[in-house]
Order: sequence, then C-alpha cells, then structure tokens
Amino acid sequence: MTSILQALFDGLASGAIYGIIALGLSLQFGVMKIINFAHGSFLMVAMYLTFWATSLLGLHLLAAIPLVVAVLYLVGWGTQRWLIEPVYRKEATREPISVLIFTTGLWIFLDNLFLVLAGPDYRTPAGDWANGVFVLGDLIFTYPQVAGLVVSVLVTLLLVLFMRYTRLGRAIRATGQDREAASVLGIDSAAVYRTSFAIGLAILGVAGALLLAIFPVDPFIGDLFGVRAFIIVVLGGIGSIGGALAGGLMVGLIESLGAQFLPITYSEALIFAIFLAVLYFRPQGLFGVERA
Amino acid sequence: MAARALLLPLGAAGALLLPLAFGNPYALSVVILALLYAYLALSWNLIGGITGQLSLGHAAYFGIGAYTSTVLFADLGLTPWLGMLAGAVLAGIAAVVIGLPCFRLRGAYYALATLAAAVILKVVVENSNELLGGPRGLDVRLLHDAPLYFQHTSKLFYYYVVLLLVGGALAANRWCLRSRFGYYLTAIRNDQEAAAALGVDARRYKLLAAVLSAAMTAIGGTFYAQYALFISPEKVFGVHLSVQIAVICIIGGRGTLWGPLLGALLLLMVVMRFEPRGVIALLGRALSGSRRLSGKAAKVRREAA
Repeated sequence: MTSILQALFDGLASGAIYGIIALGLSLQFGVMKIINFAHGSFLMVAMYLTFWATSLLGLHLLAAIPLVVAVLYLVGWGTQRWLIEPVYRKEATREPISVLIFTTGLWIFLDNLFLVLAGPDYRTPAGDWANGVFVLGDLIFTYPQVAGLVVSVLVTLLLVLFMRYTRLGRAIRATGQDREAASVLGIDSAAVYRTSFAIGLAILGVAGALLLAIFPVDPFIGDLFGVRAFIIVVLGGIGSIGGALAGGLMVGLIESLGAQFLPITYSEALIFAIFLAVLYFRPQGLFGVERA
Repeated sequence: MAARALLLPLGAAGALLLPLAFGNPYALSVVILALLYAYLALSWNLIGGITGQLSLGHAAYFGIGAYTSTVLFADLGLTPWLGMLAGAVLAGIAAVVIGLPCFRLRGAYYALATLAAAVILKVVVENSNELLGGPRGLDVRLLHDAPLYFQHTSKLFYYYVVLLLVGGALAANRWCLRSRFGYYLTAIRNDQEAAAALGVDARRYKLLAAVLSAAMTAIGGTFYAQYALFISPEKVFGVHLSVQIAVICIIGGRGTLWGPLLGALLLLMVVMRFEPRGVIALLGRALSGSRRLSGKAAKVRREAA
C-alpha cells in the first residue's frame, strides 16, 4: 500500500512538471496552429541556464527561476520575430508545415550547439537543496518534488487567470479562435503571436528550472521531454491550459503506477500506445472540445 | 538535349571510378555513409516528398530491416541477402499497420503519430533481451571476406552495393514521378479532397507509397547492419535517424528526383570540410533551406492563383 501511495505522489510530482513543460507548447499550438518541434531543445536551454545560474552565479535554484524566465521570454520573442515569422507569413493561408520543418532544424541545431558549448556530460544543479527531503511516516517527499507540484499548479492557475481576465489574454484567445475576425477588431495578430510564443518559452523557463532539480541535463535531454510534451498536449486537448496540466499528471501517473505492474522500461511504450489510441479515437484530446 | 543525354552515362561512369580518386579508406567510408543517406532520403521521398506525407518515423522501417536480417543470420544462418528481402517484406507489413491508423491524420498530426510508432518499436526492441539483445544491441558475426553473406573487408564492396541501391532508388523515384501511380500521389499531395473527388482512392495510394518507401528503407537498414556489423536500438530506431532522413530530403528539395541526392552530397561536403562541428554547419543550411523552400512554395502558389 505504501509503495502505491508513494508511486502516486511521485507520479503527480513529476507529472505536474511535465504538465507545465507542455503548457507553453499548447499555448503556441493553440494560438498559432504551429508545431514547434524545437520545444524540447528550448527546455534543454532553460535547464542549462538554470545550471549556470546555480554554478557560476551561485544562485539558489528557486532564485534562478526569475532570471531564466526573463532570458527565455526574450529568446522566445526574438525567435518568433526574426526566425519563425518570416517563414510563417509565407504560409499563413495553409497549415504551416514549413514552420514544422524549420523548427525541426532548429531543434537539431540547438542540441548540437549545446554539445559544443557545454559538452556531453550530465549536469546537476549546484547546492544541496535538491537533496532535501520531508519524511511523513513511510512516505518520502523531496524538496524538488514538493516545489515542482506547488509551482506548476500555481503557474497553470496564473495562466488561466491571465488568459481569462486580462486584455492581452483575451486578445490571445481571440486570435486563436479566429485570426481574421480578431484583426478586424483591431488586434495586431503578429504582435499577439510574438507575445504568446514568448510567454510559452517563459513558462518553459520555470519548467526547466524545476526539472533540473529532479533530472540531470545533457544536450539531448530535449528529445525525451520534447516528444513527451507533444503527447501531453494532444492528450489534454490542443490549446486547453487545464488539459495540459491534466495530461501531464496523467503521463506522470502512467509512468510511476505502470512501473508497479510492468517492467519500468515499458512505461515509455505504454505512454506512446495510449497517445496513439487517443489520436485515433479522440483527435480533439481527452479534455478538448471538438471544433469545426 | 544531346548534352543532357550524355550526362547520365558520364555521371554513372564517374561514380563507378570515383573510389580510384581516394587514397585512404576514411574518405571512402564517409562517401559510403553519404550515399546510404542519399538512398534513405530517396526512399523517404516517395511518401514524404511525392505524396507529401511528412513521416518522422522512418527509423522504424530502417530498424526492422537491420534487425530482421541480423537475427535471421545469427539464429538460422540465413544469408543477409535473403534476410534483406525478409526485412523489406516485414517493413512493408509494418507500413500498412502503422499507415492504417496514421493516414486518418493530416500534416503535423501524421508526423507525430509516425514518430510515436517508431518510439514504441524502439522500446519494444530495448525490452526483448533474449531474442534481440535488448538495449545493448547485436553484433553481426564476423566472416571477413564473404560476399555471399553480404560481408567484405574491403570498403569497395560496400561502395558498389550502396551505389547500386542509390541507382535503384533513383529509378524508383523517376518511375513514380512519371507514371499514373505517381500522378495520383502528387494529386493527393496537392489536394487530397480534390483528388478523391476525381476518383483517386487516396487511402489506397498513400498506403502503397508507404509500403514501397518502407520496404526500400528496410533494405538500407540491412546494408547498415552489414556495413557497421553492429546495431543497437538507439542507432537504428532512434528519433534522430528519422529526423535526419527527412531533413536531408527536405534540404535537397522534397518531391524532386535529384533533391534527396543533392541533400546527402551537401551533408558529405560539410562533414568533410568541417568535421566535428559539421552538424551545426549543416543545420545552418537546413534552416535557410526550409526558408527558401517555403519561399519557393509561395511563389508557385502565387503563379497558380
């Protein structure tokens, strides 16, 4: 029983972080209808930035988050403005498949760039904070797990509130629902795209810092988590913020609870099989709303 | 016109004599790998280029080819030449199994689904320790000079085999581009609904193209296994391989006859020139390549409109 409870908690804790990894992707996907295959690589960049903030600047991992978020926001804005926008504009009328190809290139480029910059070794954050634990009876909660769970839920809530109650948030949703109609109402869709791409990466900054506390970083970490983020987005329903968190929690639980019954190495295959089943039977996602 | 007619035999003769130009085996090995990538990109082109279905799961077929011939050789002593055909058949079946659900999806969703299918296969192979060697992979038993068993100590042997493969793939692509079958595929790429309205059974022709592409890719997998004499799930089923195959074809120009070959030659030149940092340099080109591509596509659409 204890082991099941522990697995449940472990699953929720890592699942919450998966959820906010997927959050930014879902936002970009939902608003711009583009698929950003470089998402995992940007996560890797966020993790390295966190690592350098803790090791070179001597910051506490949690204190590094605002800094990483700020840098990623700027990187996101610049990427959208100078790299994706020129490609996107040419294909705006159709499904932007060139953006997909372009970000695939960016993905491999970033991975190899960091292979040169940071070397192939695994890195863990400096400081002992990540090793701290709470003990409650037979259950063990590590500091990073608790922080990950709390911060992820908080970030998701904040984003929901932002999208619902601020002018900018409503502009973003309007553009996602109908670009033309939003333009007619005076919303500058290009500016909205830049902002939403930047916000997507900023959230990824939080995710990268939290993930680094439980998972060492190497230049190719993005392959694992980037692909997983897509699965979560599709599971949760594209563009649905709550769905991304729910999808993340689900993947976390499949991973940790599945390991109780199956060899742990199979959990990856299980996640992908469920993904294919959802894609086949419910392409709008488990929590998504069918759209015309 | 006469010059163009001469181009093909001249190119073929040049390719046959090319190894004479290399003193060291290292250069030849780079050329062999580049030609293998050219072959894979040409195989991918059938479904990813001509039919316009962006598959990011071709490593699945490559891996099936590599593992089938290697296991048949290790356990039954069957020569990899025949194992290669068995792998191609298996990959064709896999393409149907993967294609039936995935072809219901379009564009990016199709790309994601094929990628997921390849990952599932990789995990299954990693978990089958007895038969397939698990995550460590498999060695191909060393026979030294045994051309009947698809092995030779001389790199020249592999060079001519891969050259033959590239020639075959070029012929297949040319046939696809010029035949009724190929026109159907192009019609599906340009507008599936319109093609269906004119009586093209889109699902059937997409499946046929996928099977052909998968079988050819599997043959490349067997070649790789016999050339490297070692295979592992990460190497032959990995996401990177799928992406690389697609990227090479796209850089060169997808849906064209010579594009995939050009993409691989670019890769070759970059590797020779820049060595360790070659990949970054290559992708710099990939990025600009896809931008150029989209520019071209926009131009074509403008002209069509």
